[in-house]
Amino acid sequence: MSKQNGFHVVTPLLESTGMSKRIGTTVYLKMESSQPTGSFKIRGIGYMCQNVANSKKSKGVVCSSGGNAGMATAYAARKLNLPATIVLPSSTPQLVAQKLKDQGATVKVVGKVWDDANAEALRLAESEDLTVIHPFNHPLVWKGHSSIVHELNASLPSKPGAIVVSVGGGGLFCGIMEGLDEMGWGDVPILCMETVGADCLNVAWKARDLVTLPDITSEATCLGAKTACRQAFEYSKRPNVISEVVTDLQALEAVELFLGKFISVIKAIKQLNNNKACYAVDCCVLYSDEERVLVELACGASLAAVYSGVIQRLQEEGRLPKPLDSLVMIVCGGGSMNLAQLQHLQAVIRK
Amino acid sequence: MSKQNGFHVVTPLLESTGMSKRIGTTVYLKMESSQPTGSFKIRGIGYMCQNHSWIKIRFFPTVFVCIGGNAGMATAYAARKLNLPATIVLPSSTPQLVAQKLKDQGATVKVVGKVWDDANAEALRLAESEDLTVIHPFNHPLVWKGHSSIVHELNASLPSKPGAIVVSVGGGGLFCGIMEGLDEMGWGDVPILCMETVGADCLNVAWKARDLVTLPDITSEATCLGAKTACRQAFEYSKRPNVISEVVTDLQALEAVELFLDEERVLVELACGASLAAVYSGVIQRLQEEGRLPKLLNSLVMIVCGGSSVNLAQLQHLQAVIRK
Repeated sequence: MSKQNGFHVVTPLLESTGMSKRIGTTVYLKMESSQPTGSFKIRGIGYMCQNVANSKKSKGVVCSSGGNAGMATAYAARKLNLPATIVLPSSTPQLVAQKLKDQGATVKVVGKVWDDANAEALRLAESEDLTVIHPFNHPLVWKGHSSIVHELNASLPSKPGAIVVSVGGGGLFCGIMEGLDEMGWGDVPILCMETVGADCLNVAWKARDLVTLPDITSEATCLGAKTACRQAFEYSKRPNVISEVVTDLQALEAVELFLGKFISVIKAIKQLNNNKACYAVDCCVLYSDEERVLVELACGASLAAVYSGVIQRLQEEGRLPKPLDSLVMIVCGGGSMNLAQLQHLQAVIRK
Repeated sequence: MSKQNGFHVVTPLLESTGMSKRIGTTVYLKMESSQPTGSFKIRGIGYMCQNHSWIKIRFFPTVFVCIGGNAGMATAYAARKLNLPATIVLPSSTPQLVAQKLKDQGATVKVVGKVWDDANAEALRLAESEDLTVIHPFNHPLVWKGHSSIVHELNASLPSKPGAIVVSVGGGGLFCGIMEGLDEMGWGDVPILCMETVGADCLNVAWKARDLVTLPDITSEATCLGAKTACRQAFEYSKRPNVISEVVTDLQALEAVELFLDEERVLVELACGASLAAVYSGVIQRLQEEGRLPKLLNSLVMIVCGGSSVNLAQLQHLQAVIRK
């Protein structure tokens, strides 16, 4: 549809007044939520699928993700008239399978958990001569994702002071690092955000070794890689990379704020007056944070870097400069979110 | 921020699988909700501010005055980018949040009177007494010219001429800009479906009366569509054979906002819901059955005008009021 290279669009880079006020510098939102299929995945996966179509080496693509990677694969394959098979475990909601079929993909339901589906995807690749599209661990995917940095370079008035990104398996992170190196921006601080319980990069970073999590215990299932890809682990050793985690609750609050939960912060002064306590409202600070977009919990992890004060804390600890020369928030988005899912997460996380 | 002309961004044009399934042809969403300040207004108002200042600031300090929500936000933003002062006049019926957002953009905010007309009268008075440049939310050729950029972007992104375009109409500024752009593209025969809500339907009433009519009052909750009179240019364009004017209820617009949030994950204003309802409430399908739109429609472009004076609290308020 777009006459440019690949199947992604050049996404808006918007100033967030709310976030800018909170951290005292301009915060730019790179709205990957506005991509076809709702997340940044279409960049790298679209690029890889195009490669497959051009090389004519296989008869189609296969992917074992029901989430954003699967949707991006199905979409790119449809645009390329390339057959796509998505293999899902039986635990996947029916709605997901339907959305993939709407994109023209063949959907196969195999086994109970992701590992079963993935094993089947690998088997099909072998037996039916299909190319496996990995959600994050492939140089072509990273190269496709690196386009995001080229767009930043075209839009920003100057090199950003820091970039914030959510990390699942690390594919987007790798793409960004690759793009930054190409731009000569290799020293820009990168804040990698994960959630507690889906923090494979943070655990590896602390252990200085590639570690496999025993399980994913966060609700941010899109970040649910048990092991970060090796390339991401290697990049994380660089001095400009900071790895932080937030709780599911902080990620959820970030999602809500970003959508449009109006909050007011009242500074109260408690005065003791003849054994009577009375409160005086010192000032009422209204933060209008809404950007009116509903993103996935995984995306909330990076938004929480501002909303939950991670940036401010890092500045106080001297790990980020004070003042910061603009912050770019990669709003990774996420297409498998709706109001029912938001309500479900609110119930589960706040129980 | 963008190195291009104006202050708007080239917005994404995304296929809506949900809408496409409903009407049996590809529906493209032109995501004006992704503009700086959250609506398409920045196109025309940004263009007008930029062009005014180019001429005026060489000789006089230029201050812009504008009335109301989205237009005010666009004016304040453009003025800040141009390092020019802006005064936004609001009626007291405007939510406090809007005033705060305007101040965050560096604008001076004046709250005057109760309804839009009071604020407008004050804006004109200020323009006179303090030599301010009035930025009209919809009734100015520079605003229409700025809005016409949307059609140039469609031309660059679409594989072929669209089968129809759907747009919400308040005062008709966006509609005029689109018609101007379509003429420039040689797409002057593309069916345009102008959507309004009952009670904020100045264009529909004028279209039916074949005369520019002023509504006695705005009774719809879609206050962003709340112009009592369409601009004359919009009325003139509405006479063309390819223009269709339809109205939906506030409830249909609200349901459209809710469905859009759920399916496309973006929260828009009720005014925007009016155009979304063209698909969600079956207006397209009915027009096809009536033979007023081709049955085999060659893609539909939905202008998602957006709107920034909405959040979850406002949505809940609308749900309570409209569904009472």
